[in-house]
Amino acid sequence: MKMKMKMKVRTIVSGYIILLPALIVMLMFNFYPVIWSFLVSFKETKAIDIKNSALYEIPGVFVGIENYQKVLDNDLFFKSIVNTGYFAIIFIPFTLLFSLLLAIYVNQKFKGVNFFRTIIFVPYIISVISSSLIFMTLFNTEAGFVNATLEFFGIQGISWLGDERLAMPVIALMSIWRRVGYFMLLYLAGLQNIPKSLYEAAQIDGANWLDKFRNITIPLLSKITIVIMVLLLRDALTIFQEVFVMTGGGPGNSTVTVPFLIYQEAFSYLRFGTAAAMSYILFVIAVIVILVQNKIIMRKGKVE
Amino acid sequence: MKKNSKMIFNYVIMFGLISLFLIPLYWLLAGSFKSNFEFNLVPPTMFPEEIIFGNYSTAWTQLGFNQAFQNSMIVTISTTVLNMITGTLAGFILSKKKIPGGKIILALIVSVLIVPPAVLLLPLYFMIVKLGLYDTLSAIIFPFAANAFTIFFMKQYIDDIPNDLIEAARIDGVGEFGLIPKVIVPLSTPALVTVALINFVGNWNAFTMPLVLLRSNEKFTLPLKQAKMANATDVNQWTLILAATVLSILPVLVIFIGSQRYFVKGIMEGAVKG
Repeated sequence: MKMKMKMKVRTIVSGYIILLPALIVMLMFNFYPVIWSFLVSFKETKAIDIKNSALYEIPGVFVGIENYQKVLDNDLFFKSIVNTGYFAIIFIPFTLLFSLLLAIYVNQKFKGVNFFRTIIFVPYIISVISSSLIFMTLFNTEAGFVNATLEFFGIQGISWLGDERLAMPVIALMSIWRRVGYFMLLYLAGLQNIPKSLYEAAQIDGANWLDKFRNITIPLLSKITIVIMVLLLRDALTIFQEVFVMTGGGPGNSTVTVPFLIYQEAFSYLRFGTAAAMSYILFVIAVIVILVQNKIIMRKGKVE
Repeated sequence: MKKNSKMIFNYVIMFGLISLFLIPLYWLLAGSFKSNFEFNLVPPTMFPEEIIFGNYSTAWTQLGFNQAFQNSMIVTISTTVLNMITGTLAGFILSKKKIPGGKIILALIVSVLIVPPAVLLLPLYFMIVKLGLYDTLSAIIFPFAANAFTIFFMKQYIDDIPNDLIEAARIDGVGEFGLIPKVIVPLSTPALVTVALINFVGNWNAFTMPLVLLRSNEKFTLPLKQAKMANATDVNQWTLILAATVLSILPVLVIFIGSQRYFVKGIMEGAVKG
């Protein structure tokens, strides 16, 4: 009995020791920062310079909900939410649709399908920065590929990234190009997971391809669709690098996204308290949208 | 007959989509070989009239991309190796050992996945400054030495290793600490390769944290260097920046092509299990 106890204690202790490296990193650099941000969002917003080295520290004066009030009074913050929503409205449905169509296409067996899959996936491994630079040259007003092609067909070139309505769609287009291959693979995994016998049974019942698609494929993909929607939403709420390189938030603040505004607020204007408050509002928005999304998709999946 | 026309239809779609997807990459490659003069021509030339290989060597040495390349390599390889270690260790414990609080720890780790990176931006900056690691490569290695995705992925994979195998090894006299190198690692090689690839690509392409945690030019990683060069006002360096961009894509492209079977399989398996 005593032996057994000793053994058990030993496994538990050794277990914690083995878990420790990962646990330390997660605690220090993930869990603690989440709490830290929350506290700082209630602290005085001004940071102090440490010994003139342009490195900052935050004085520990609590100011209540002042930072949140400031953020909610900030018109640019609302604009950044609208801009992020504009991006999401283009990016999410198109990526979802294209990745599903591509997955159905590559789920067929024909020569070269693996090669095709690889090519479609390649943009995903290219960094956002490199992709942004590439799309800047593609959509360059004078010497870009897109305008050159338009002009070849007699259409006047457009100042893509200089237009308040078009800059965000260009960024969304790039994001779709870069990510659709990845989501295609996720949908492909979902498709291959559907038992073939279901389709065969439907075939015997005289169902056509549309019936099969509506009554088998779509409902059985609802689980993977939830995963994909959460990932897409996460992508949409983290659009930062694209804006940093391609537009710097312009023209006319039309591409200022929430993460970009948080970055500016913190590292250009050194208003850390309000930046932390913004990041927490973003966090809450993300959680709410994910919960609502899951509920809707779950319900739909059940009805069908 | 019907089958044939379907085949032709398939190939037309395939050819069209491949061209569409490769246009950006073609334009990058063409631009990287153009002279400055030709790059700024209106209308642009579709194919470089004179191929300037010199863009590559100029970007590499004069713009200092060799240094950035080296920094990126150091950071990426260290972070990837560290993640494989921490991920395997934690995945093993959270999967196979019943330790008090294990379920809660796992739930907390998974919940980190929904935290927007913007929330971590500020605290990491202040912590790194406090730790005296600001503007060092360590600043972008150690905070990222473990991540929720890798731990979860490894845990899911190790779940599928039969407990009998572990028991058998124990009976053969393999100690608690010996189980990982002798049983777990050999049996989860495919997962480790996938995790290595995903971490490599992710860290090679990382931008936001390096932007906040590094200041001096000699410490810049590739994406940081590319972005800073592009944002600088000198328009005459674009062909060089594009050449550097091609160079920055090559390592991940080579690795991806060499191991895409694992990569694709890993992503798809992760999707079904996740």
